[in-house]
Amino acid sequence: MAETTAPAMAPARPALDETLLAALAAAAGDESGGLTRRLAAQVRYEAAETPSRVRHLWRFTDPARLLPMNLTAVTGAPGDVSHTLAPSVAGAAATIDLWPGLPPVVALSDDLPAGQLTVVSAGETAGSPALAADELFAALNEAAWNTGIGLAVADGARLPGPIHVRVHASAAASLPRLRLVVGRNAEAMLVEQHLDGGPETRVTGHTAITVGDGSRVRHAIVQVWGQGTNGHLSVSTKAGADADVLTVFGVFGGDEAKLEVRTDLAGKGSRSEIVGVTLVTGKQHGDVHTTHRHLAEHTSSRIDFKAVAAEHARSTYTGLIRIEDQAHHCEAYQENRNLLLSDRARADAIPELEIHNQEVSCSHGATIAPVDPEQLFYLASRGLEHGEAVSLVVGGFLENTMAKLPDDVRTMAEAFVGPRLAAIREGSA
Amino acid sequence: MSDALLNPANPANVFACRNLHVFVKDGDQEKEIVRGVDLTVQRGQKHALMGPNGSGKSTLAAALMGHPSYRVEGEIWLNGERVDALEPHERARRGMFLSFQYPVAVPGVTVANFLRASLAARRGTEIPVRAFRQELNEAFATMGIDPSFITRYLNDGFSGGEKKKLEILQMLLLKPAFSLLDETDSGLDIDALKVVSDGINQASGPDNGLLLVTHYQRILNHVQPDVVHVFMSGRLVRTGGMELVTALEERGYDWLTDEAAVAEGSRT
Ligand SMILES: Nc1ncnc2c1ncn2[C@@H]1O[C@H](COP(=O)(O)OP(=O)(O)OP(=O)(O)O)[C@@H](O)[C@H]1O
Ligand SMILES: [Mg+2]
Repeated sequence: MAETTAPAMAPARPALDETLLAALAAAAGDESGGLTRRLAAQVRYEAAETPSRVRHLWRFTDPARLLPMNLTAVTGAPGDVSHTLAPSVAGAAATIDLWPGLPPVVALSDDLPAGQLTVVSAGETAGSPALAADELFAALNEAAWNTGIGLAVADGARLPGPIHVRVHASAAASLPRLRLVVGRNAEAMLVEQHLDGGPETRVTGHTAITVGDGSRVRHAIVQVWGQGTNGHLSVSTKAGADADVLTVFGVFGGDEAKLEVRTDLAGKGSRSEIVGVTLVTGKQHGDVHTTHRHLAEHTSSRIDFKAVAAEHARSTYTGLIRIEDQAHHCEAYQENRNLLLSDRARADAIPELEIHNQEVSCSHGATIAPVDPEQLFYLASRGLEHGEAVSLVVGGFLENTMAKLPDDVRTMAEAFVGPRLAAIREGSA
Repeated sequence: MSDALLNPANPANVFACRNLHVFVKDGDQEKEIVRGVDLTVQRGQKHALMGPNGSGKSTLAAALMGHPSYRVEGEIWLNGERVDALEPHERARRGMFLSFQYPVAVPGVTVANFLRASLAARRGTEIPVRAFRQELNEAFATMGIDPSFITRYLNDGFSGGEKKKLEILQMLLLKPAFSLLDETDSGLDIDALKVVSDGINQASGPDNGLLLVTHYQRILNHVQPDVVHVFMSGRLVRTGGMELVTALEERGYDWLTDEAAVAEGSRT
């Protein structure tokens, strides 16, 4: 008789207690109400089930490998950080550095008109999106975030430049938390750059964005962690009526990294576009999930995600389009293309459609393919060496997606993609 | 031809192949597509190759350029040097060129970037931007291609004729020693055929050579080959001059099939 299945090993979860949460709140500059919210989140965290590997969302990635190993209250400035300071985005309305264990460092531009941008608590949940990220990670971040900022953009504001947030994974357990609340008929751009991190670093990050009626928001999240860093980043965005949202992401760094981007089209006539690029190599494992949830009529969404996997690397994608029964006359489109640069590289693409009414137009496409040998032969017949030909083809594959990125974000992505293409050209990737 | 000129190592020969066989994978087996070809192109010569569909002309051309999916036996010579062990890009850098019957698209790579990289590879040195622009403008003008094509993606969404013009534009820029032109005239309208032929003639001179694969007399009237070969079932079955082209136009290939069969019969 077969044995009964062994009980599933619960992955080690870092323990939380009130003393720790109080210390984290104090160090991060979280204001007095912060601890109450953290304690409530702790209850949710402890009740949250470990994500099931059976579900598509976690089929390819082990959540235990992304969780922090243990949590301590880091305080004070990290050691020498000068080398990690990425250049600030030209013309930024605000430049903000988030270091674990420190209050945010905020530099506002002189061009920023008074009252357009205010700093609010990152911890507050009122007004944050209905759409939850993965519960375990969301609750952990909410309880134990150790660096963060909340920003509010006033009704009718037009920020003179992007808000640039450099999120430093400078502690072994880095838990950044961002919140952006954009009022009605406003325009804002948030560029979130996830930097630093070394061996054994673990990041659990969450960003919540609320876009008021008639507003236009562009949000970029570019992850360029150092080698050895694992982590989970999630973005939840809620778009109000006639709001227009562009979310772009780049997943480049770290060892094992998952990014979840969820956008709720909550208001009638809202539009969302998600544009993403990933380029993984070596033993990297990149995992991207997107959700577009249509809750209102006449909403439209598009997703364009391109992934390149070289050497032993693996890129996985799950993309959900969910159209609720009341959301008539919606349009949704999802495209995911994957390019494999070696026999050992892998990519997975799982599109999921959940459509609860018939008056919608919805389509998706996914491709996974190696570089076309006929393209390489054509380029070789013009004198291009193998590496040079491959790097041209890869650059070309990414090009029309990169072209959709706002200039500053493209520069940021290219700072990472450029050297990788050069490595391919030299034959070392 | 004198014995010295039959020597593939003779620098008067820009190209030669000897006893060339080309095999493709066919399930577990191999299929022989090119079945023993000997060809010598002297510097300054233009050769034409005509043959029925499926006879192996494109296979021959691609194999000479070094296409990785073929297994090749025999010798390939370029400028008096063996090149059959070289990678395709090395053959290209030494001056071999293939104008594709079906040029592939490379989306996202602009014509300008591609041409600049090709030119640098062929010349072994980076080309200064301004000099490159000037050369490019001249070549575009010669080929009657709108300059806006330099920012288009390589062959992406190009019409058949536009692709063929860009192939010859590359021949003009890269100045190959020996060009394989695989049906560069197919699908061209009358004006485009003239432009393409003029381009080929402009790129040809006393120091280089070419092998032009075609089904039609029209381009040969423009290009005026010195030698015409008929290629059937993987072999050269007849070599002559323009009179051979006229005979093919009138009689098709069947009479040569019979002769080839007779020749083959007599050999065994
Ligand atoms: N990789 C391959 N695998 C199997 N068969 C092949 C392969 N490449 C070529 N062939 C076969 O070899 C034969 C010759 O093809 P090729 O394209 O060289 O003909 P061609 O003379 O150029 O014809 P056309 O005039 O139509 O262009 C054809 O029967 C073709 O199907
Ligand atoms: Mg052919």
